[in-house]
Amino acid sequence: MNILIILPFLVGLLTGIVLLVLSFKDHKDKFDFVGNAEDAASRKKLHEYVAIILFLMASISMAVAFSGQSEIRLFTLVDGISIFFRVDKIGAMFAVVTTVVWLAVLLYSFKYMQHEENEKRFYAFYILAYGVLMCLDFSGNLITFYMFYELMSLSTMPLVFHSGTRESIMAAYKYLFYSLAGAYCSLFGIYVLHASMSGSLAFNPGGAVVFGSRFYGGGLQLLGVFLMLIGFGAKAGMFPLHAWLTAAHPVAPSPASAALSAIIVKCGVLGIIRVLFFVVDYKAIAGTWVQYTFMTLTLITVFMGSLLAFREKVFKKRLAYSTVSQVSYILFGLSTFDPAAFTGSLLHVVAHAFIKCGLFLTAGIFLFRTKETMADGYVGIGKRMPVTLWSYTICSLGLIGIPPTAGFISKWYLATGALDAGIGAFRYVGPAVLLVSALLTAGYLLPITMKGFFPGEGFEVKEKDKFDIMTAMLLLMAVLAFVLGLFPNPLTDFAGSIVSEIM
Amino acid sequence: MNTNSIITFTLVFLPLLGAFVTYFCGKKNIKVLSSLAQIFTALVFFVSAAGLVLFINDPGQVEGVSVIGEICGRGIAFSLNGFRVVYAFIAAFMWMMTTLMSEQYFGHHHNQARYYFFILLTECATLGVFLGNDLYTIFIFFEIMSFTSYVWVAQEETKGALRAAETYLAVAVIGGLSMLMGIFMIYHELGTLDVDALRESAMAANTSPAVLFVASILMAIGFGAKAGAFPLHIWLPKAHPVAPAPASALLSGILTKSGIFGVIVVTCNIMSGDKTWGILILVIGLITMFMGAVLALFSVNIKRVLACSSMSQIGFILTGIGAYNAMHAEHFLASSGSMLHMINHSLIKLVLFMAAGVIFFNTQALDINDVRGFGRKKPVFALIFLTGALSIAGIPGFSGYVSKTLLHESILEVEMGSFTRIAEAVFLISGGITLCYMTKLFVAIFVEKNADEVLQAKYDDLKNYMNPKTAFALTGSALLLFVWGIFPHRLMEKVAGFGADFYRLSGESEAIPYFAWNNLKGGLISVSIGIILYFAIVRCLLMKNGRYLDRWPKWWDLENAVYRPLLLTILPTIAAVFSRVFDSLVDGIVLGLRNTLYKDSPLPGKKKEMSMRSLRVKEDVDIIRRSISYGFFLFAVGVIITVVYIFVFHFGG
Repeated sequence: MNILIILPFLVGLLTGIVLLVLSFKDHKDKFDFVGNAEDAASRKKLHEYVAIILFLMASISMAVAFSGQSEIRLFTLVDGISIFFRVDKIGAMFAVVTTVVWLAVLLYSFKYMQHEENEKRFYAFYILAYGVLMCLDFSGNLITFYMFYELMSLSTMPLVFHSGTRESIMAAYKYLFYSLAGAYCSLFGIYVLHASMSGSLAFNPGGAVVFGSRFYGGGLQLLGVFLMLIGFGAKAGMFPLHAWLTAAHPVAPSPASAALSAIIVKCGVLGIIRVLFFVVDYKAIAGTWVQYTFMTLTLITVFMGSLLAFREKVFKKRLAYSTVSQVSYILFGLSTFDPAAFTGSLLHVVAHAFIKCGLFLTAGIFLFRTKETMADGYVGIGKRMPVTLWSYTICSLGLIGIPPTAGFISKWYLATGALDAGIGAFRYVGPAVLLVSALLTAGYLLPITMKGFFPGEGFEVKEKDKFDIMTAMLLLMAVLAFVLGLFPNPLTDFAGSIVSEIM
Repeated sequence: MNTNSIITFTLVFLPLLGAFVTYFCGKKNIKVLSSLAQIFTALVFFVSAAGLVLFINDPGQVEGVSVIGEICGRGIAFSLNGFRVVYAFIAAFMWMMTTLMSEQYFGHHHNQARYYFFILLTECATLGVFLGNDLYTIFIFFEIMSFTSYVWVAQEETKGALRAAETYLAVAVIGGLSMLMGIFMIYHELGTLDVDALRESAMAANTSPAVLFVASILMAIGFGAKAGAFPLHIWLPKAHPVAPAPASALLSGILTKSGIFGVIVVTCNIMSGDKTWGILILVIGLITMFMGAVLALFSVNIKRVLACSSMSQIGFILTGIGAYNAMHAEHFLASSGSMLHMINHSLIKLVLFMAAGVIFFNTQALDINDVRGFGRKKPVFALIFLTGALSIAGIPGFSGYVSKTLLHESILEVEMGSFTRIAEAVFLISGGITLCYMTKLFVAIFVEKNADEVLQAKYDDLKNYMNPKTAFALTGSALLLFVWGIFPHRLMEKVAGFGADFYRLSGESEAIPYFAWNNLKGGLISVSIGIILYFAIVRCLLMKNGRYLDRWPKWWDLENAVYRPLLLTILPTIAAVFSRVFDSLVDGIVLGLRNTLYKDSPLPGKKKEMSMRSLRVKEDVDIIRRSISYGFFLFAVGVIITVVYIFVFHFGG
């Protein structure tokens, strides 16, 4: 039974290799999927296989996630450090969110990817990454987590340079360098923590590392923890190692950007949660320079991301800056060490995953249909594709935090939690920065709705687009963002139960 | 389900249902569309009327709180008390009347389905605000209201409309976020958001007055922005004229009141008894009142005059609310004055904006010079307009006089020496200007002849300028306004009494002798000021060769001169400089290292005979080679740190 935890990874690895081998064969003679009936049929077949395999993997993972506590120890490396998986609540939560987004984006990309070449390579890495992510979510100790974290960086990099342009290759390298630089920072922290801990760096709610008098009265451990925050923060787009995000998102195909922005950056968040609350006892950090520096960095990121998004003209880059800002909302919530704010962070993980996925899917639809990349270029688009723009609007309102959408609920918990936390003047500064950033968010998202639905006098609708699978997936994200805002209690209670195990 | 929950839920959710039914059933057919909208608004009105009747019979029957748990996490709660019953009734009445007149106003205009959809959605949201029992519910519906009413302003899609709508939305979003921050702080400090419990919690000893004061200011920014209070009034004179007339009536008559509603909640509960707060609101009220009146005096567009007049009247209401907190005794003067002036202003602006709508769909013009003489030989229309005009100008015998008298009295109760005298002077002068600009409108539309004789002849021959539904909406509203005004003691004071518990007052108010010399004197001073100003300013300064001129300097505009440059250019530019520095910090360091310590070997000389493809391959290879070496570099740094660490701490320690 327990082998099921790593089964998706094995299936994903196998499928990935098969698809990659097949894709090498394709590469020799490029072919036109759309025009050719035979190719269209083989393309449809490919989609069926890919979809069946991913659904299979997803159902296994979901069975694992919902079955509750189960664990598997694969083998031992050294000194009691083993490759070890354990399903816990927070891992299950991340796994469920990942699965929903991954499946929706896959269905979306069946249509979207007809514009791109090398579809098989895309699906190969896409499926492989899903398997890696499941293992990442269910990792039972920091070493296992780290291993799959690196694997995730590597397996998602080909998604970024998929188009093969020079720009995308440069962006992919930037993505890799930043990820590696971050991972090395984390690695240093892992060494320090391992040295100061008798156990195996396993994840326990509440953490186990006690800072002793060794290592300069714990000073080195604090530094280690700080470096881990910076390191995992790189993936989460936290200042100072956030620059990869705005380079990688605009050049990747839109489904890949959606997956990156919704899920991959959240793995950095998961890393930070694991370190702060499952390895180290957060009480040892509370009140130290680490907490305050971390908090300052997150607030800088929140403001910087929003402001640069506000000034950005390229739509996908704007959304990338927005991700920088929004993910740091989550990190800010974590940095306060307050139960309510922590709950808010977990809610925002879910809310932002669906909302940002929806926004990038919108960007993809716009790009697919109009070939326009600039945010000012979507005048009157609401008359052409009303359902798309409506869904976009709901997602935008969610990101700003207008009730009744999911973003409002998470912001409510984040801000009230921050006010209750014992963090001095940050109590007021934090929520104020969040709200200023929300204002900027409104400033960079709503003009597209406004110009899209109200193009002005004399605007003629040239054509109306049909409802298709891409719009359907976008609508799904918008509905999720709305329903989670209208009836958030099951999710809030679940997040609350995770928090109550820790605090 | 008790009576309370039946009434509150129907009032809030029936329009929501109506919005979707109307939109999807009427999308194809305009006739069906407008009929459905009329039916739904009428149904809502009957429910609100039933609520009012039941309340008058026995308040205990309908009072109470109804909660829907789960929604938005904390659940939403609605309650009914005297104030809320009355305002739900007024709101539902206004929605019914404006929807009735919309049919003729829009004719065969396009985008009507969208208009009715958002009209009904906003009715849901507005009733949600007025019935909301806690700040959470109020906030949720307030935000929904801001966003759905945006569509009203943008409806016509002209350049001006889109710009005004943009301003409207920006002010609404800024206000909303400011309010949210206030609510966070209140919740943190008091631990409750329940309107009825706020006062007791705020009175408790362990609260920090400073935090509460800041929180109240933040909330007042949000509510005041919607009400159109200075200095956040900028959207109001721009949005009302460009919106369709029925929507302007609602914007001006009821949406601004939802802001006032919030200010009352804050003033009478959280800031209860705080003198500084009272003076602050009072001063803001005085500025708003005076500025609105002056702006209205200078405007030559009918709807802009009415819009600025709304701003001015909001100032009157705020003055009353401020005086409520600033005065020592006789609080019921201020509470009745502000509440009655709210109701009066709602009804007056309903009548006047609908009248402006009638003028617009008959003439397609709003400039007073163009519509001059439109009202000649139309006695019914003149009477309707006159009822509104006299009432707003505070002429004895009309409802506006009663509420203004009460407000005047309450200012006098603020015993602060010369401040009181200045406030009174501003109050009386603003009242005078009100009369002055209403006279200007009336004279232009109903007395003078148009400069263009052909046009005048056309105006004179207009017989069917209102269809039966429009006529019913206008006469009905004007009649209600008139009847309401002639029974100050039996009708108005009784209704004002309903509001007492919302203002946190108990006991009976004593009857005010409105027509005693002492009170008439204030009204007469205002009237004389108005007449003098009319002849001195309007006839001499603002007219040239028989045309009305807009002498207001164009650059003298708070929005274009201050807010837009500040918020769109200056602040973002300054912040962007810092943000860019942060943004490119690491990239800059990497670049710096590559130019100094870790220098690239020079690019191999480009050979011309190389094809593009091989050049690209070579470049890619180059990139990969360098990146691998960069990776090795980082790896080496990691190894060095690791080795140092092992030596120092494992062997050394």
